[in-house]
Amino acid sequence: MVYPTHHRRIVEDLMGGKFILSNEDHYNSLKENDKFYQEFFKLSFDLDMVMKPEFCYLISKDTQENFSRDVCIFVAVLCYELDKDGQNFMEMMDYHEFNYEEVDRFFENSSFIDLIESNKALKDQDGRRTLINGMARRNIVHKSFEDRFIFTQAHRVFIDFAKELAMRKMAVSKEGEDVSS
Amino acid sequence: MIKAEPRTILSFLHTYFDVVRDLFEFQAHDGLISREAFDMIVKKHGQQNIVGKLKEYRIVRNIGSDYEMRDVYFKMMEFLLFEFKPLLPETIEKYKGAISELYMKIRLGENHDREILQERIKNISHQIREFVDLVERNAFRLLSETRDLKSNIERVEYREKVHKASFWIEYYILPLNKILDVNHSESVTSKLIEVSEYANRKRLDFGDETIRSEFEQLYGQLIQTNQDLLRQSKILTNELLPLLERIRTESLILTGFIEFLRNPYKVDSPPLLKGSRTMVYAKDMLFKVKEFFEQFENQESVYYEETDLQFDKWIFDRELFRNQLNADLPVKDFFGWCSKMLLKDFPHIETEKFFAITGLLFDEDLNVDFPKKEERTVIETLNSRISVPKIKIENAPKI
Repeated sequence: MVYPTHHRRIVEDLMGGKFILSNEDHYNSLKENDKFYQEFFKLSFDLDMVMKPEFCYLISKDTQENFSRDVCIFVAVLCYELDKDGQNFMEMMDYHEFNYEEVDRFFENSSFIDLIESNKALKDQDGRRTLINGMARRNIVHKSFEDRFIFTQAHRVFIDFAKELAMRKMAVSKEGEDVSS
Repeated sequence: MIKAEPRTILSFLHTYFDVVRDLFEFQAHDGLISREAFDMIVKKHGQQNIVGKLKEYRIVRNIGSDYEMRDVYFKMMEFLLFEFKPLLPETIEKYKGAISELYMKIRLGENHDREILQERIKNISHQIREFVDLVERNAFRLLSETRDLKSNIERVEYREKVHKASFWIEYYILPLNKILDVNHSESVTSKLIEVSEYANRKRLDFGDETIRSEFEQLYGQLIQTNQDLLRQSKILTNELLPLLERIRTESLILTGFIEFLRNPYKVDSPPLLKGSRTMVYAKDMLFKVKEFFEQFENQESVYYEETDLQFDKWIFDRELFRNQLNADLPVKDFFGWCSKMLLKDFPHIETEKFFAITGLLFDEDLNVDFPKKEERTVIETLNSRISVPKIKIENAPKI
């Protein structure tokens, strides 16, 4: 049997929890063999592969994933604080190079301080550095220098999650209003 | 009929501008000026005496017991204060009907009465002017409202912003864009282009010179109008629509994030791959597997024999040796004394036991004398030769 090009790298990266981004060499091979890999991961490991135009990643059935929750809180607080600061947070998430110092400033002055302090991965600078390193390992951020990073397109997973959550919430409250009226 | 001179009315407006502006703002907000509001505004400015003049100059009129600012003044104030209320595109679209009808009548009646033709050309020109004016005012107002929404001066909640942005897009921007869309056959703009082409032909080939000149003017107006409308359309599609879409998306995302942050442990976060420590494709898997199997290759038998032999369980009894040392004082060579003591009990001296006894030297009660000359003694233990200085232990001084 002939495997697609970059097969080993594709499998290693995805099984390591990494996002494969569209600007990486092996993304094209993965995209061309989308169907094969969907089947491959499903039959071999019972994992679902999510293929998006800008990135690809694997998901487990078990959704109780602390890393995902920590990253989601991190992104949510950062977006909220950027908006509060009058910044265009969507543009910032797409193009801005963040440095640790500014991230620390946002977190330390956040109105969500209670939540931040109760979370091990976010409560102090060291915890946040570790989380950012974890995000870099998974290709959610790209570390441009030791203390600077840029979000990759993979951050859209969390943005889309927020959109869906808002729409679900708004649909529920609309239903509620309709029922009461 | 107003008896006053126009200059007098303008002067009145100039003097009492604050009152008129408050009346305008109240009507712009509520649609009508209630009697209470009217009295309150006039009283606030201490100008109860101008009520009669306001009516005489036909600035306000009675609607039942309430008041209304007359349209001409209302529009003037709108213009002066740049406070235009955005109109629903349906209101603007009515011009399409008026323009189309006049255009049709002009075409059909071009060979009939000259005067009515001239009048119709003037009327269509007036309708076009009004139409462009309304579009410009609407686009301006929408842009201003959208920028306010973006900067969120009124501290509107994110969810409310989503609703507002969606509302503006659905009921104002998209229909207005449709009216201005030159590629849409039913749009007002495409109708104006049709009129413009017709006027262009007629300004050149119409028999009557006066009418030709009217068409010339209409054509000139339409050229400018089409440019203005194109500019407005560009503002709508390139600036307003993307800005509103952005506000809507941003607010939606922030609504979701705030909802999530309210209780992040009760909402399922986005599913990712849950990390596992025994991944088949781990980078060092090959090495680990090789290492694992290699341990079973070339196996040699290893025998282990348990022995029942008793091992030496000597425990240093400090008290005993201390008493012995005190009894033997003074001792000229402490280390020699140590080896003698051990040789009393054992055939050989073990290094470990030797060092255990030498620990007595650190007893604070002992009067240790370090020799000035370097004299050494050699102690032979089972596995080493130890060269140590000769240390004297004197009797403790009596206090």
